[in-house]
Amino acid sequence: MKAYITRRLLLAVPVAWGVVTMVFLIIHMTPGDPVAIMLGESATIADMESLRSELGLDKPVLEQYAKFLLNVVSFDLGNSIYTGRSVAESISTRYGATVELALASMALAILLAIPLGVMAAARKDTVVDRVGMALSLIGVSMPSFWIGPLLIIFFAIDLKWFPVSGRGGVESLVLPAITLGTAMAAILSRLTRATMIDTLGEDYITTARAKGLENYVVLFKHALRNALLPVVTVAGLQLGALLAGAIITETIFSWPGIGRLTIQAINARDYPLVQGCVLAIALSYTFVNIVVDILYSFVDPRVRLR
Amino acid sequence: MILFVTRILLLAFLCVSCVERQKTPPGALVIAIESGPRTLDPRLATDATSVKIFDLIYNGLVKRNDDTSIGPDLAISWELATPLQYRLNLRRNVKFHNGKEFTSADVIAQYKFLIDPANKSPHRSSMLMVESVEAPDDYTVVYNLRQPNAPFLGNLTMGIVPSGSGKEITENPVGTGFFKLAEYSRDEKLLLTANGAYFDGPPKLNSLLFRIIPDETVRTLELESGSVHLIMNPITPDLLPRLAKNEQLKVFKKLGTNYSYLGFNLEDELVGRHDIRLAIAHAIDRESVVRYILKGLAKPATGPLSVANRFYEPDVETYEYDPEKAKSILDEAGFPDPDGDGPKVRFRVEYSTSRNELRKRIAEVFQWQLQKVGIGLDIRSYEWGTFYANIKKGRFQLFSLTWVGISDPDIFHYIFHSASFPPGGANRGRYISGEIDKLLDKGRVVTGKERESAYAKAQKIIASDIPYVSLWHSVNVAVSDRKVTGFTVAPDESLGSLHTTRIKR
Amino acid sequence: MSRLPTTFIFGVVVTLLFIFTAMLAPLVSPYSPLEQELYAGLEDPGTEHIMGRDRLGRDILSRIIHGARVSLTVGFVTVTVSVVVGTFIGAFAGYAGGKVDEVVMRVTDIFLAFPGILLAIAVMAILGPSLNNVIIALSIMGWTGFARLVRGQVLSLREREFVLAARSLGASDLRIVVFHILPNVVAPVTVEATFGVASAIIAEAGLSFLGLGVQPPTPSWGAMLAEGRQFLLIAPHMTTFPGLAIMVAVLGVNFLGDGLRDIIDPRE
Repeated sequence: MKAYITRRLLLAVPVAWGVVTMVFLIIHMTPGDPVAIMLGESATIADMESLRSELGLDKPVLEQYAKFLLNVVSFDLGNSIYTGRSVAESISTRYGATVELALASMALAILLAIPLGVMAAARKDTVVDRVGMALSLIGVSMPSFWIGPLLIIFFAIDLKWFPVSGRGGVESLVLPAITLGTAMAAILSRLTRATMIDTLGEDYITTARAKGLENYVVLFKHALRNALLPVVTVAGLQLGALLAGAIITETIFSWPGIGRLTIQAINARDYPLVQGCVLAIALSYTFVNIVVDILYSFVDPRVRLR
Repeated sequence: MILFVTRILLLAFLCVSCVERQKTPPGALVIAIESGPRTLDPRLATDATSVKIFDLIYNGLVKRNDDTSIGPDLAISWELATPLQYRLNLRRNVKFHNGKEFTSADVIAQYKFLIDPANKSPHRSSMLMVESVEAPDDYTVVYNLRQPNAPFLGNLTMGIVPSGSGKEITENPVGTGFFKLAEYSRDEKLLLTANGAYFDGPPKLNSLLFRIIPDETVRTLELESGSVHLIMNPITPDLLPRLAKNEQLKVFKKLGTNYSYLGFNLEDELVGRHDIRLAIAHAIDRESVVRYILKGLAKPATGPLSVANRFYEPDVETYEYDPEKAKSILDEAGFPDPDGDGPKVRFRVEYSTSRNELRKRIAEVFQWQLQKVGIGLDIRSYEWGTFYANIKKGRFQLFSLTWVGISDPDIFHYIFHSASFPPGGANRGRYISGEIDKLLDKGRVVTGKERESAYAKAQKIIASDIPYVSLWHSVNVAVSDRKVTGFTVAPDESLGSLHTTRIKR
Repeated sequence: MSRLPTTFIFGVVVTLLFIFTAMLAPLVSPYSPLEQELYAGLEDPGTEHIMGRDRLGRDILSRIIHGARVSLTVGFVTVTVSVVVGTFIGAFAGYAGGKVDEVVMRVTDIFLAFPGILLAIAVMAILGPSLNNVIIALSIMGWTGFARLVRGQVLSLREREFVLAARSLGASDLRIVVFHILPNVVAPVTVEATFGVASAIIAEAGLSFLGLGVQPPTPSWGAMLAEGRQFLLIAPHMTTFPGLAIMVAVLGVNFLGDGLRDIIDPRE
């Protein structure tokens, strides 16, 4: 177990390296000059040159890259070009908001998707199945920037159940979590249905039924347990994606998360902040997947971690 | 198993959401803004949101009145001792939010900060015309200029920070204004509380909460639901009738100092030609855009200065919508339309614009209108960083932008003088005119009638040369809750009237 | 084979209907998708314009019909590119195994962990915004899923008897992969691809929301939806119809995929 975790964590290192290298290349290829954006149009060439050299942007790209890697290795993400604040600090104040939203969406999606998937599988090819799956497809086909405002109009304005936007108590979390969780619930419920159908065809289920166990017990105790395996994996991948993909939902609900921070950093060509955000997102993604794989081994003793 | 997962998730859920969070303080006026201030240090900021909030937290030495003239603020009076020397008398008994008294030492420190290249202030160039600054006593400041500069006082509107202020000002501003910062969480909210010791009396409100809400529909809904009391530009013009109908709300309008235009790259072989620009100017139906798209919330412009500006020159060349004329100009210019009204075009031009929805919509209207005279317009909407970089580097044919807060005509020097090519200026189209250069140089050194006539002449030449096609001056709009009284919209979108704004319970 | 499920038939019909509509757009659309009549902006649905008009007074139905071209092109081309690239890389990694496999899988991990939005912005900024570049951006993000799928299949297939038999008969690696392994991968890839089409259509809408989509005046469903969002409170028809178009198309393509899976995989 310990060896496995160590191995997985070590494997995360090349991935992290790849991600930071990729982001470094991309931002240096993208047109736009942080110095010009920062100093405005009245800046003289001399001013721009001096700021550029202060930020190290006048050095050869390879040298900048080497320096950047060295800093990352020593856990120094540098300071934001604009605010002067440390990148690590800027990210940490925003990270919690994103994690909170991602976990809430996930919880909601799972609570909705698994019962729906099980029900659809148990009554395969009936009206319940068809309607359930059609609903889930509708869920996946509504872009969050459309569903979000509709939810606000209905639940916050007409019913006044929840605040319109902003990050406050638990009640402010509900609408953005639904917005973000809908598509995921759709994906998970379809997956649950598919794996449940596979599992329900297995011999041991037939045996269990033959023993006269109640349908409910067979479904939830015997079948679901095994059907959940791929669902857990995909849920993990999705959770990772949520950490990065919440930009639109964060924008609509004025949620101060890392997605908006990333977009702003990109727009301002705040290189250190962009690099820091992407690294944080990538590491969370990788970490979530390691955790999921470990969880997997708890759920299914047949899976042995190597 | 399912219970296990659910339990973990619920626990995680509750754990993160049980954190105490502050609610709107009672009696606070809540204002929704599109984006947060980039920095709260007036010496470093250039973005519009930051500047707006500075009106509340800081005072400059002077301030810009609604008619674009200069009025007293921390300086109560001034004199031009010689054409090269401004002598300002400072207000006494003014205290910063930290209790320190405001004196001439703060002004000197700020000047030194601005001109020190190490501080990377984007406002450094505005102080380069100053030879030295002296403080004969605690309440007098003397600026010695290198050469006469008529619009000089306009550079002294920047908020003053206490001497010795460093980086911490970015997030913890200390000024002399009628509000002071109480709480700030970036990209989320900004809470200001009344400065009871303000020299002109404390504000009527005890606190002011800015909420950063990027989505316009959501801002509108927040206002309608009563959780926000005030929203300002940008407001989609189409939403105004709905808001005006709402009995809980009031709509404010005021002609602004913003100027929207189409800029040409004069080094381009197509739009560098005067006849082509003339044809484009005639092919564009600005009136329709103002009427139907902007819903009358703009006034067609004849040049960068609006009617409200003291230097406005009405007698300049204008270009009425006349597609037939545009067609014949293009025919004569040697670009016949290959198929008349058909889809083929005489030539294609690239039109760069930002991602703003309204701007993109207007671009589509121009595209359609130009198509009708046989010009193909390729719209390229860029994310801001790319757009700005392209414009600065001259990588464009045609672009659309807005100059914000035009007051003194010295801005012409910045955007049309041949010494103002970027970087170091904003003559992005590389417009060169010896006559204009002379007039704009002259406008800096002379005063009174002479200055007025220099700019009148410059406006005429610029209008005929068409380095820009003037579009319109926008009307500033704000919508507030009915409970809000004493608020007015300023031409430059200043929030100064919040000093006397109240909110009824 | 048992009776075809109704959903599958629905899927086939809807998908074909959309494809034909897109192909015949200029013939079937009642108006020009570009003709502006500014004074009629935001006109409600009525007898002349059954889906109403957009902000610039253009006929929404005609724009949806023409928009099908863009949205379906983005959907199908993105998936085709992703499938080709993903299959090639996945098959290579899976068949080669060992170190090569390890390296390729780490590379896909990098792409999976990388925030797609940054890639999209970078592609648009470097190459300029256009339909082709939307497809490029979405394909750069889309290939990884197919690479993983194919690699997994190849890993399990390459030890199967028929492959071992082919090898013992002296077949080259390339021949084994192309003629013996890939045909067995076609089924799962096809199913996955139909879902990919749907997600590409939605991703294009997301890019449009961020202003990174196709450039005007080309109509796309995503761009129409993003544009209409501003008028949600005063002209809901601007979002309802393009939203419905996306929904029906996604439903259709997914039902098609579901049906294909049922047909291909007799276990179910």
